[in-house]
Amino acid sequence: LPHPAPPDREGFEREALVHLDAVYRMALRLSGSPADAEDLVQETMLKALRAWHRFERGTNAKAWLLTILRNTYINQVRATRHRAATVDVTEVEAFTVFRDIQDADPEGSFFAAIVDDEVVRAIDALPPDFREVLVLSDAEDLSYGEIATVIGAPVGTVKSRLFRARQLLQQRLLDYAVRAGYVRRRGR
Amino acid sequence: MTGASDPIDCRQAAARLYEFLDGELTPAADAAVRSHLADCAHCLALHDFEQAYLRFLAMRLRAQGAPPHVQRRILRELFE
Repeated sequence: LPHPAPPDREGFEREALVHLDAVYRMALRLSGSPADAEDLVQETMLKALRAWHRFERGTNAKAWLLTILRNTYINQVRATRHRAATVDVTEVEAFTVFRDIQDADPEGSFFAAIVDDEVVRAIDALPPDFREVLVLSDAEDLSYGEIATVIGAPVGTVKSRLFRARQLLQQRLLDYAVRAGYVRRRGR
Repeated sequence: MTGASDPIDCRQAAARLYEFLDGELTPAADAAVRSHLADCAHCLALHDFEQAYLRFLAMRLRAQGAPPHVQRRILRELFE
């Protein structure tokens, strides 16, 4: 069957397709595999094109696309297996990294020594609830309100998850950097 | 209204640090954190460290995009 003529292909290309990189990045972080990410991106963009007439002009098209992406992913996962249970109980002690290395490396220059693969590995190892808010904020620069809409949770939940996600990731990156010999912890 | 916010302590400033860096605070709360940082070298150092961390994260996380074959596949599927 031929696709129905898109009512506004130019508008879709200009406002939605320009976010393909963001959709792909998020798909990769959600699904964990390039092949699954590709399929997820394709399904997301097809759904978005069909629903384009319902997109509210003047709102954030990237947030709209990432919402479609996340819903598509969750429906897929629900169909095959249960998504890992929510981990909101995770306790993360705040600002231990700064406390441990503020004398040795107050500017955090050890971060720059960590290779890309290791950063991605550490992010992919975060609990899913933490990973998605971190990616939506720190990779895609969405506001707390936009993230709340994407994940269907209150802004307060976004705030506390993002805080703990960033701190947990920072602790794991420091662990890696210490093992790799890039930086030393205080008193060790 | 700025400059007349209630003073906050180190614990409160740290709790709001990410919201401050993300530009998510109300003008009054933003002013309170800003004013604490101006008076507290320790919290300012923490602020600078966390700011460097968030910049590092953004840079690394935004480096990757959709590979060319994915871009071609999507364009083909969407418009052909």
